[in-house]
Amino acid sequence: MLIREVMHLNPISISPETSLSDTYNLMNDNNIRHLPIIKNDLLVGIVSDRDVRLATSKFAKTSYEPGTMISEIMSHPVETTRPSEPIEVAIQTMRQFKIGCLPVLDDYKLVGIVTVANLLDAMLLMTGVHYPSGRLDVRLKDRAGEIAKLTKLIADRNINIHSILSYPDANGKLRVVFRVSTMEIRPLAKAICNADFEVLWPIQASCVE
Amino acid sequence: MCRVIYNPKYSMYNLGELHPFSPRRVEMLIELLKEWNVYKEPIEPNAINPVELEAIHDSKYIDAIEQVSSGAVLNGIDIFGLGNSDNPISLGMAEGARYQVGGTVLGAKLLIENKAKKVLQLGGGFHHAHHNLASGFCLYNDLSMAITEMVNHGWHVAYLDIDVHHGDGVQEMFYSNGNVMTISIHESGEYLFPGKGWLHELGQGSGRSLKLNIPLEPFSEGDSYFEVLEKVVKPALSWFKPDALVVQAGADAHFADPLADNLLTTHDYEKIFRQIIDYADKSCNGKVLFTLGGGYSSTATPRIWALLYLILNNLEMPEYLPENWKNHWEQILGKTIPNTLHDKLPAYEIIPRRDEILKINKDVIRRLMDSVSQYWI
Repeated sequence: MLIREVMHLNPISISPETSLSDTYNLMNDNNIRHLPIIKNDLLVGIVSDRDVRLATSKFAKTSYEPGTMISEIMSHPVETTRPSEPIEVAIQTMRQFKIGCLPVLDDYKLVGIVTVANLLDAMLLMTGVHYPSGRLDVRLKDRAGEIAKLTKLIADRNINIHSILSYPDANGKLRVVFRVSTMEIRPLAKAICNADFEVLWPIQASCVE
Repeated sequence: MCRVIYNPKYSMYNLGELHPFSPRRVEMLIELLKEWNVYKEPIEPNAINPVELEAIHDSKYIDAIEQVSSGAVLNGIDIFGLGNSDNPISLGMAEGARYQVGGTVLGAKLLIENKAKKVLQLGGGFHHAHHNLASGFCLYNDLSMAITEMVNHGWHVAYLDIDVHHGDGVQEMFYSNGNVMTISIHESGEYLFPGKGWLHELGQGSGRSLKLNIPLEPFSEGDSYFEVLEKVVKPALSWFKPDALVVQAGADAHFADPLADNLLTTHDYEKIFRQIIDYADKSCNGKVLFTLGGGYSSTATPRIWALLYLILNNLEMPEYLPENWKNHWEQILGKTIPNTLHDKLPAYEIIPRRDEILKINKDVIRRLMDSVSQYWI
């Protein structure tokens, strides 16, 4: 997934001369936490709601007046991303610098902004929960052909797979979570189990009739 | 007095011999009631017209269903959720579905016109049908059609869904509607289809705090259900004060159900049905419309719905199932049917995680009530 698929388009921005109080009000009115600062069409800084609150706090070493220009307290240079960057790279950048957003630049021009909230939404989309479906959780040997064998079993039953999410598990195995469009997940799980796959969910109940 | 709605044409909604949503379940029920001499002639509904379905469904979606159901071969119907293992195409399925929608809508009309207080529709309950998507064995959403009928009459309607799967289609159609409260008690979407029905799905706009979801842990038992009824459903109905209650009485939370994990017994179902009727008597002058729904254990489902029928009609409860009926259906199903109406107790082995499951479910109830109590003033 690429940044262009998850970013906010045409973000609100301010000039370096904007006062602290105007910046604060703009954030409040629009329910946002970050504002890029633009001068002559170029990104020159960024400010978060935390920066503004700290700058005016009585606890701060230097407490600024509400009329101070934002250029006095803005962060620069700014960590950025581009529309064609994969989101996993952007996530690592944000984690490394401990920041909550990245302005998106295309040929030096600000075209968007991506925040932690956008990336959480992207993650949610990848889990496939937005489509009516059941969850099949399996542990696979991490080698060629395993997923192919498993998906063929599902396909042979005319069941559609909405999403496949995988992550490394203990002992070099692969944990794979499928979201499948069926109410009959238990018979499916049984068939997969019989084909020697390790099914973690649904578990078989020990009920007597 | 309870009015019963049924049309033999409901059986046209047949998705194949091996499909779990089998018309046989209701046929078994009706034969059982006849054998006991308690079956009264039902009111036979007409099929709803495809055009009327446009009140809740996309016209292109309706058109596709009607065409493939009469044998046409269409490309690209998978975007409507048609032609897969859950929702295969079978001839006549659209007509069968429209008869069942007609039945549930007729139930709504009987309540509106004050011709009945309690109605049992021996079909319907297609809560997974969406605006333009077939899913979970459902094509046309009869429940939403009936609720819409009542809302158009100026009513406030409460919808209670005890099917083990979340009632996603109904919730979605009324998500921002302030006239409709939806309550769904189901096995958590963390584990079960359709993967929705979380605590935070509380409704939007004027529908906020009117959409309630109680996602229970897999292997939840009767005690958790009773607690949900007492601590969520009862206060919700007494606060909302609906004009009528619509109940989707799916029977798939039974311990023998092959598609899900919860562990209700017939004894639990009896208690739940009586409780719901009591709430209806107290909160909406007894006006209640029950539909059927899921329920895929062929030996348990007819017994659960027989209980519902007997309770709604104030009939005595025969303890033993008629030999004739039992032998006849055992031959057809190739399965042993218990000889009593109720399950023998203990019905299943003790669940090792029992205490933990109870604890998690109690916490779910607390979290839901914490979320909605700020709105319910």
